[in-house]
Amino acid sequence: MSWLAIGALALVGIAIPLAMIVVSALLRPAVPESGKKTTYESGEIPTGSGRVQLNIQYYMVALLFVVFDIETVMVFPWAVMYRSALEAGVPLSQALLPLLAFIGILVVGLVWAWRVGAVQWTRSIRAATQKTERQNT
Amino acid sequence: MSLLLQGTATDWVFSVRALLPVVLLALTGLVVFGINSLRPDGRDNKLLALTSIAGTLSALGVAIWYLLAGTGQPTHGGAISLFSGAIIVDGLGLFFTAIFTSVATLVIAASYDYFETDANPASFYSLLLLATTAMGLMAVSNSLATVFVSLEMASLPSYALVAYLKDNRGSVEAGLKYFLIGAVSSAVLAFGISLVYAATGSLLLPDIAAQIGSVGDLNGVLGVGIVMVAGGVAFKTASVPFHFWAPEAYEGAPAPVSAFLSSASKAAGFAVGFRVFATAFQPALDIGIDWGLLFGILAVVTMVLGNFAAATQTEVKRMLAYSSIGHAGYALIGLAAITAGASATNATVMGAAMAHLFVYGFMNTGAFLFIAMVERWGVGRTFEDYAGLAERAPMASLAMAVFMFSLAGLPLFGGFLSKYVLFLGAINAGFWWLAAVGAVTSALSLFYYSRVVKALWLEDATTDLDAIGDAPTGLYAAVIVAGVVTVLLLPGFGPVIETAEAAAAALFA
Repeated sequence: MSWLAIGALALVGIAIPLAMIVVSALLRPAVPESGKKTTYESGEIPTGSGRVQLNIQYYMVALLFVVFDIETVMVFPWAVMYRSALEAGVPLSQALLPLLAFIGILVVGLVWAWRVGAVQWTRSIRAATQKTERQNT
Repeated sequence: MSLLLQGTATDWVFSVRALLPVVLLALTGLVVFGINSLRPDGRDNKLLALTSIAGTLSALGVAIWYLLAGTGQPTHGGAISLFSGAIIVDGLGLFFTAIFTSVATLVIAASYDYFETDANPASFYSLLLLATTAMGLMAVSNSLATVFVSLEMASLPSYALVAYLKDNRGSVEAGLKYFLIGAVSSAVLAFGISLVYAATGSLLLPDIAAQIGSVGDLNGVLGVGIVMVAGGVAFKTASVPFHFWAPEAYEGAPAPVSAFLSSASKAAGFAVGFRVFATAFQPALDIGIDWGLLFGILAVVTMVLGNFAAATQTEVKRMLAYSSIGHAGYALIGLAAITAGASATNATVMGAAMAHLFVYGFMNTGAFLFIAMVERWGVGRTFEDYAGLAERAPMASLAMAVFMFSLAGLPLFGGFLSKYVLFLGAINAGFWWLAAVGAVTSALSLFYYSRVVKALWLEDATTDLDAIGDAPTGLYAAVIVAGVVTVLLLPGFGPVIETAEAAAAALFA
């Protein structure tokens, strides 16, 4: 019986958007106009094509960020209990060493990524020429 | 605060020694990073390949040494439990680690030639080593948390390995498909784990087994959770219903990666499946959650679908991909034939499935590495393109014939005994229908395997084979070694099956 509530919730969840679409389709007047078909750019008239290319190198930075973001998640609980662990008589080899090994592995990875040029900002010749073209016009 | 410290203290030296094969693999991966960090512009293909092989071989050596010495086995004090029971070192873990490291060794030797012209082979070797490390962890995981983490650790490098040829459309497409299906099945597995936890209140496999008897009203939740965990296992082993990534990924990936995924990755999935279902979910059979029947149906469908689809292929690599699905079906018999309370027959049939995966590791890796060699020569992909290759490369073609007949189960090579013991075990456990389907599909498989041998040895070359002059040392050595081991596993099958059955028996004890 407890699943009945979830089923009802799902029904309502589907019904609300459907109802909104149907009601607005019934109420609104039909005024076809070309301006309605353009891309919405906050009131600006859109220029250029919609296929803007973003620099893929951002993803490398994002990846490295995620690694060290997760690292802080791991280090926080360790930092919270480190002092009390030492007071309780846990030897350094068990309180400190595992974390050093963990960070050491991440450091090896970061050094490697750095050395093979993952964080190096390569210069795109095409982007540079496009930029000078824009400046010249 | 003191509550956090109540687990048993971990002796690091002891843990490292118990987990030495896995630790060695991880260290080798880091050393490969180190070498490449010191000389980022030097390619160092030879040095990196030799370092990687040294790592996998030493891990293999340690695993075999531990197996022979009885580490973690009932004769020597039983399984070694580490990290509050999240990791367990026993015969099953060591046996599967031996499979992963042997396959990885062969694949690395072959990759030395396959990626000869690659710009940065270090990333390939490190991805392969880290994936092997994760597989070693999968085999010793004794908690659903470590199962999930190690499975993801193995999957993520695998996606990158499949898409390793960045400029090759097929490779990138295969990587994307593999990744998407992998992400879905990871979600399914995680959901299943959460449901099992909701019903039993534990993630440790032995604790789950202890709690299953008292789930009461929650047995529906538990049942759904177990089915979803089975889905995660099915993805990793490329079994129905999560099999459809396999032909795409194996065909598009560089052939050494296909070899690695279809042998080692599949075995890793079975390592997890065997341990989780034998240790944790076995009592569920008593309360009406018949996952044995589920695996029985999946095994039949997987065997039939894999073998029939393989028979209709025109490309050799794709044929091997479907045949690898068929072999997942055979190994699934090891789970399907488990019944409540029949420890002896359960151990026999699961041990037979493990031994089959061991033999399969060599013959299937060898077959894919032969394809890697053909790809490197630039000969086409279809059966017709393989015609007459035996004239130019007789030794490799002989090895390929050995792999094909062994995969089909002809009574000349290792593949025969492992299938025979597996089907016999299924019959003894009362599952004659599984053995019957296995035998029929094996007979069918002889048709498509022999097509390769016929093309290699009996047909005349349709294309110009003059380009085949050189014999790449590493690839050739890997293919020949795999072939020799496949032949030697016929007389040497005794110790393998004994080790496997002892390891399986320890799970059911």
